[in-house]
Amino acid sequence: MTQISLRGLYKSFGATQVVRDLNLEIADQEFLVLLGPSGCGKTTTMRMVAGLEQATHGEIAFDGRRMNEVPTQSRDVAMVFQNYGLYPHMTVAENIGYPLKLRGINGADRQAAIERAADRVELGAYLQRRPRELSGGQRQRVALARSIVRTPKVFLMDEPLSNLDAKLRVAMRAEIKHLAYELQVTTLYVTHDQVEAMTLAHRVAIMKDGVIVQLASPEEIYDDPVNTYVAGFIGSPPMNLIEVNAQASWANAENGARIEVAAPRQGPITLGIRAEDVQLTDMDRAHFSVEVFAFELLGDSTLVTIKLGQTGVTVKGDKSLRLKFGDRVGVRLDPAHLYWFESATGLRIR
Amino acid sequence: MLTQSAHAASDRALIPGYRQPAHDKAGDWLRQCVVFVGVCAIVLPIFWITLTAFKLPKDVYSLSAAFNFTVTLENLRTVFEHPWNLGSKIVNSLVVATSTVLLAIPMATMAAYAFSRFEFRFKKTIFLVVIASQFIPAAVIVLPYFLMFKQLGMLDTRSALVLVNMSIVLPYAVWMMKGFIDAVPVEIEESAMVDGAHRARVIWEIVVPTALPGIITAAVFCFTLTWNEFLFALIISKQDALTLPIGLIGFRTERGDLWELMAAGGILITAPMFILSLLVQKQFIQSLTAGSVR
Amino acid sequence: MKRWPVHWLLLAPALLFVGAMALFPLGYSLILSFREWKLAKTSVVGEFVGLQNYVDLLTDDPDFFEALRATCIFVTADVLVTVAVSLGAALLLHRAGRLNSLARTLLILPFVMSPALIGISFRFFLNAEYGVLASAVAAVFPSMKDTVWLADSTLAMIAVVASDVWHWAPYMTLMILGGLASIPSETQEAARVDGAGSWAVFRDITWPQLMPVVAVVMVLKTVFALKAFDTIFTLTSGGPGNATKTLAYFVYEQGFNYYDMGYAAASAYVLTAILLVLAGFYLRLVFGKAR
Repeated sequence: MTQISLRGLYKSFGATQVVRDLNLEIADQEFLVLLGPSGCGKTTTMRMVAGLEQATHGEIAFDGRRMNEVPTQSRDVAMVFQNYGLYPHMTVAENIGYPLKLRGINGADRQAAIERAADRVELGAYLQRRPRELSGGQRQRVALARSIVRTPKVFLMDEPLSNLDAKLRVAMRAEIKHLAYELQVTTLYVTHDQVEAMTLAHRVAIMKDGVIVQLASPEEIYDDPVNTYVAGFIGSPPMNLIEVNAQASWANAENGARIEVAAPRQGPITLGIRAEDVQLTDMDRAHFSVEVFAFELLGDSTLVTIKLGQTGVTVKGDKSLRLKFGDRVGVRLDPAHLYWFESATGLRIR
Repeated sequence: MLTQSAHAASDRALIPGYRQPAHDKAGDWLRQCVVFVGVCAIVLPIFWITLTAFKLPKDVYSLSAAFNFTVTLENLRTVFEHPWNLGSKIVNSLVVATSTVLLAIPMATMAAYAFSRFEFRFKKTIFLVVIASQFIPAAVIVLPYFLMFKQLGMLDTRSALVLVNMSIVLPYAVWMMKGFIDAVPVEIEESAMVDGAHRARVIWEIVVPTALPGIITAAVFCFTLTWNEFLFALIISKQDALTLPIGLIGFRTERGDLWELMAAGGILITAPMFILSLLVQKQFIQSLTAGSVR
Repeated sequence: MKRWPVHWLLLAPALLFVGAMALFPLGYSLILSFREWKLAKTSVVGEFVGLQNYVDLLTDDPDFFEALRATCIFVTADVLVTVAVSLGAALLLHRAGRLNSLARTLLILPFVMSPALIGISFRFFLNAEYGVLASAVAAVFPSMKDTVWLADSTLAMIAVVASDVWHWAPYMTLMILGGLASIPSETQEAARVDGAGSWAVFRDITWPQLMPVVAVVMVLKTVFALKAFDTIFTLTSGGPGNATKTLAYFVYEQGFNYYDMGYAAASAYVLTAILLVLAGFYLRLVFGKAR
């Protein structure tokens, strides 16, 4: 039951500043995801919470108590590493039991706790194996078991699913979400995968170049992105961002197509629209018509790519839609779901 | 992995993959002291010998003139004169070491390539035998060869030295080269073969250039071993084929040890090795450490 | 690609060479050891005497046993000190820092110095009158002033061990540093997160993973110590008396001072036998696990 505060956090490695003025309050039992591409500072931030890195400036507090000087081993956090960090010379049981051994919990108590943790992740049959004999998914679960064998103040997870194959990832995602809920522990989760962020988080902090760009619930980030970076990061496929030249009541796209929508201001502006909000209609209702550049069948839906000049626009279509390259289609942009961004800065115009 | 590379940028580490644990001021300071002592232990002997090379004999034999002495280049000049003739010994050492390397490295590279890329019966055994030959003491090798060279009239020739030095150097060369060739991705060879190159071309035009840093490292290592080789030179050479290390003990005369000349000789024998090793250091360390961890 | 035995063509030169220059002498020396041959007297290989050389060696030669004794002392001291120093140095140097970086760069230098030169240098440093090391020791232990290091059995042995340690320990430090670097830092970080302090991390996580490397270093150093010759030759010439005359030196002496070839071959073979056993350990350690 721990609330985490990060205030004015800075971290530099030599001359490179990796985290800049980061401020974040994580509520008790909240599942907070740090999302961003590699190099944005998310892992560094988490390592500072763990005590594996020292902040250059700023404060880290658990329940109001300053933690900067507290060494890692005394912080009572649990961490799942990207490469699991399993002890290769110990058995699964010894791996899981190590935190207890360090705390002087031995004998039957320790054994019972190990078995409980192992059962929770369905590894009961593997207790005497060594990590090298296990598959990626099994190693992942050992790391999880080790982190839940005691009740830490905080769960830290550093891209735990990135080394698993796609199918396993989906299954483990659900496991992790369930565990965090069941154990009621504050969780800080780092990933570059926006699907994980969307599905797991209470709130998402999107990071870029060491700062938090937007901190909000997954829905809010999806429906109300604060700039083109966030808009383009979240969503699969990512939001279409089209450069247009807005006039009084219409906008000109790159290829000259005239789109009958009203922009908030005139001149160059970026128009954003999600693939599912672009409609393929008959010519009389369409904003413009264009040739199909690519057509993909996904099974539950279809993706059609069209080109406005050099810019590609992705359209999500019904799973029964069938088109060929070169087919001419009418495209309509749903005016209720348009987003406008400043061309120069990428900031959202509300 | 940005944190790792960002970190490395600030330490310029030779060995990647370590991080700085939490601070502990007093412990840190103590550690730094011990490291300093260690650095001195390595540097001071070298430093002292270098100083001695530039001292006059009278300054050598007394410690009171440890640091204020008249600098002289005489010693460096004297060692090239009769009867020391370090010049000819340098030539011999150069010829022997270079020849050894020029012969051994291609042999070792070809063999290493075979071990790395092919599967065949007894491969493991043959490889182990080659590697294990480094454990045969020099004396065992030199006894029969001393006798054979004597009979062939090859004693005291550079060729003889090259032959026996190759026997020392080959196992290391094969071992190192195999490691370097293992590190060349097979895919680029396969691409070349698909493009139409036959095996020999692939080796010469694809593998060798890619493994070149490794080849140079192995060559420098073998050069070092041969350059410093002592026992064989002691036994096999007498006059014509004397190498530098043997030249060094020539300064031990009935009158006493001529330390200042020995030091001058010492600089001559060591300086090239220092320079070479510092140049290939990074690769060298990688291959060393790869040898201990499999 | 495997229709033609290309690999044999590639292997042939190296294999022939190893066969000729390593395996052949190995066999020839064995044969030599069964023959009596004093080169000073005759250029013709002597007659077959069976195991007589070995018998003489083991029963009739006090020098041989002294050599064995000296070898035991030298090798034990050398290996223990070297491994201890290298391990300590590696643990110290396995951290960031400018001094540490400098130290790691310097580690390669003692290895590329000729062991003969190192022996000569230490002789110089230990001279009773003007040796810088002798004076330094005397400054700390006044009772040691004016001692002639190389005339004292124990001190001479210490000197020989010290010079060999100086030559090899930095190299071994590099090997152990490599071993340390290959331990995934995540295993150590996970331990700290789990609650382990520095000592516990070392004891439970680092050391178990480092042990294989240290084992290899120990075996390798033992081999090098058994083969060590150059330093002993130039530092003490085996003296005083037989104090630092190891088996390697003994073989040299028999063969090239006394020219008693058969006898030398026999003693060389005793040394070889020991080394090949160690070679077996080394190969198993390094290649033992799956390949």
